[in-house]
Amino acid sequence: MTMETSVIGKSLPLLDAYEKVTGRLKFAGDMPPLQRMHHAKVLRSPYAHAKVAHIDTSAAEALSGVSAVITYKDDITGNKKTCNSPWQDFSFNFRGPMISQEVCYVGDEVAVVSAVDEDVAKEALQLIEVEYEELPAVFDMEESMKPDAPQVHPWGPNVLDPSVFEWGDIEQGFKEADYIIENRITLGNQQHAPLDRNACTAHWEGDRVSLWTSTQALFWIRDAVTEFFELSPSKVRVYSSPTGGSFGLWWGNNFMFLAIAIARKARRPVRLILTRDEVQTTVKRRERPLIDVKIGIKKDGTMVSQSFRHLMDNGAYGNKFDPYQSVADIYTTPHGRAEFIGVSTNLLPAGCMRGVGDLTLAYAIEQTVDMAAEKIDMDPVEFRLKNHWKTGDICHTSQEVLFAKLLFNKEPEVSLTSSGLAECIQKGADKMGWKEKWKGWGKPSSVDGYKIRGVGMGISTHISGLAFFGFNGITIKVNPDGTMALTTGIGRMGQGGDTTQAMVAAEVLGVELEDINVIDGDTEVVGHTMVTFGSNGMHMVARATKAAAEHAREQLLEFAAQELEANPEDLDIKHRRIFVKGSEDIGIELKELMSKPIYEYLSAPEVIGSASKGVEFHKAGKMMIADFAEVEIDTRTAQMKLIKFVAYHDSGTIVNPAICENQVAGGYYQSMGLCTTENLIFDEETGAILNPNFMDYKIMGPLDMPDPDIYFAEVYDEDGPFGAKGIGEGVTCAVPIAVANAVYNAIGVRFDLPITPEKILQALKSKVH
Amino acid sequence: MIPICLKVNGEDCPVQVKAHWSLAFVLREKIGLTGTKTGCEMGTCGSCTILLDGKPIFCCLKMAVDAEGHELTTIEGIENDGVLHPLQQTFIDGHGMQCGYCTPGMIIAAKALLEGNSNPSEHEVRLAIGGHLCRCGTYVRIVKSIMDAAEIVRNT
Repeated sequence: MTMETSVIGKSLPLLDAYEKVTGRLKFAGDMPPLQRMHHAKVLRSPYAHAKVAHIDTSAAEALSGVSAVITYKDDITGNKKTCNSPWQDFSFNFRGPMISQEVCYVGDEVAVVSAVDEDVAKEALQLIEVEYEELPAVFDMEESMKPDAPQVHPWGPNVLDPSVFEWGDIEQGFKEADYIIENRITLGNQQHAPLDRNACTAHWEGDRVSLWTSTQALFWIRDAVTEFFELSPSKVRVYSSPTGGSFGLWWGNNFMFLAIAIARKARRPVRLILTRDEVQTTVKRRERPLIDVKIGIKKDGTMVSQSFRHLMDNGAYGNKFDPYQSVADIYTTPHGRAEFIGVSTNLLPAGCMRGVGDLTLAYAIEQTVDMAAEKIDMDPVEFRLKNHWKTGDICHTSQEVLFAKLLFNKEPEVSLTSSGLAECIQKGADKMGWKEKWKGWGKPSSVDGYKIRGVGMGISTHISGLAFFGFNGITIKVNPDGTMALTTGIGRMGQGGDTTQAMVAAEVLGVELEDINVIDGDTEVVGHTMVTFGSNGMHMVARATKAAAEHAREQLLEFAAQELEANPEDLDIKHRRIFVKGSEDIGIELKELMSKPIYEYLSAPEVIGSASKGVEFHKAGKMMIADFAEVEIDTRTAQMKLIKFVAYHDSGTIVNPAICENQVAGGYYQSMGLCTTENLIFDEETGAILNPNFMDYKIMGPLDMPDPDIYFAEVYDEDGPFGAKGIGEGVTCAVPIAVANAVYNAIGVRFDLPITPEKILQALKSKVH
Repeated sequence: MIPICLKVNGEDCPVQVKAHWSLAFVLREKIGLTGTKTGCEMGTCGSCTILLDGKPIFCCLKMAVDAEGHELTTIEGIENDGVLHPLQQTFIDGHGMQCGYCTPGMIIAAKALLEGNSNPSEHEVRLAIGGHLCRCGTYVRIVKSIMDAAEIVRNT
């Protein structure tokens, strides 16, 4: 289906671009100081696992300029576990008490100080005397799963109950297979590493608390604060500012709750800004997987069965039992089994990061799929075209199925709204020049002296939101001059969510994008909106935005119909003017309509469109991804260089091409980091992170990689507003696969990530001998 | 506290500082110019780049007391009577940003480049922002925005 649009499909500038280029945009750390505001600093555990046997804060409290000190003794939330509502104990942002007597990783909070400035707060930290009683710690997932392993934290077991999805008859499936291919993979520890440092300011007035922080999850934070501090939601107000890149980092994080706790004790506003070191070592990282894959195929390349066991290292906190997967369905097989197990370790807590679950599992699946195709000597493009997921196929491993079971004890069927995978695979291969470059399995596409090139590909998918993220309540108010204010809780983190939501509204209302002012980030002002993750903005939140715009449009047409003495259904709005369809000269400017008094009321009209919509979950929209890479390995230096990268993605209608291309490019840069240099290094003895800054944890810079070639499939998703699906997260998912498969075809060796020169050198050496 | 007077965006800013305070800290926390960002406070991300006598520096690595007597230019100071600098306009039009955190530093670094060379090659542009990180991975469009601005600068 195609449609004529005047706003959708244009690369219009970001609504907040002017603020960004002039330095006016306020991130949380840029907030002007409040009157009487103090500054907080955190004392952190040097041990991976220990009991605070003795703590003396008297000298710190006595220091001039110190307003408060809190420790576990303050018993801030009792034994209440901090996490995101409403899924309490099985949520993914779970942690134990805000400050525990038992510290569970290096960097865990031991005490917080607030003082007149950061210098005094730092000085006070040094005056706190702590005696630790060290406890045994465990850093390895498989060690942690053993019955005699040390208990990572005091409130629960190291291994969570697995979440299991099964379809068909898996044993029968493997019996039917001509070949069975097995594989085990793991990845490095990636950190979100936004440039912006996490910050928040908390302020109590009587029994009401206000929190200013950068986040995309304002309502979940409100609900979490409500829960821990036993307050009514009417007493908690969260103001969220844009994040300086989130990638999954800025949800309800413990540092926010600590700021609230110490502000209450200090009886004044308190601001807490983390250092770079703290951002990278105390907030969150991507959960590291350990995945066993088993795939059964027929001789003709038909996949008949697949089985996955995905362990997730949750670190010291975090409670993930399910990784937002859907990629376990990317190949449609009659028989399958997917098992996900969350495991705790005494390391930095882990949780969602861009592409969560699908990135890790896709890496495992797609390496193994290549191995399967190699087994029968089939071109990997052909193999994927034969087996991939198609429109209307069942999502056996959808997280909605899991939540329906947990919340309602039902096992519904969820199907796929649309899949442009065939187009992505075929056209992407053409753009890569696959036919010319593909020379067979483990064979370089070219050899030039010491330089060996290879090509590889990978496919993946990712959610376009999940229904249980909640309802979306949106309002659109039309001003007397025809401009509009749109309220939404959508988070701003560089994905342009405010801009694209406003584009949807502008399209419906026949106005220009610049006519719409987006009001976001205030729990008291905006309606509940899905937490902005899981790429839900365009496919899900925009349904409510579109409905609110339609509601406003109805009212505008009613008023215009009276004015023009016409039927509302005969009217249309374009370019800020309402007119009679077919007789376009009969019409009225929106501005005139909204400012002209109506005889009956002696007043100009007021128009407020609103909509509150949940998302029915039986049909799931997913973005589809095919990535292709050509790499070059220098056999003298063992350096791997990317030569060409093609991203061919299906996100349905591309609402704003420039925004979407930036998203794809961003996923490419981030995932190439994971692929090559990004890996938090944990000290084997202490569990401490040894590379907590951009010097030692290297993210990709402007000179490191070639520009990607980005293309979008022409897919119109019938369930998405204007045919759109999500984009933000899935863009990361297939990059490492394409690169790793290309490396294999260049030098004949498969690697776990990151693929470092050391590993390549070792592999080249062992091939020689 | 040490009384100093910094000249920022053409204005004299008298301010009391401690000897160990960085210029970035003083600009942001004492003078209120938060357009200059401090992503790492150790000279590794480029987000705190300002101009000191026309040359780009990481102001997180400069002591405030050492900045007296110099002309300092921050992102807040590159508009001309309310008219955006060509770089600001091309960054807006060309989507040379996503979250916007690295944007002030990128624009300042690019301004320094264009003042010395209004006809840079793409590689020269990349070298000029070589010490700047963009975690959103917007380099393609950042580079394009700078090249577009260079063309405007050349033609005016």
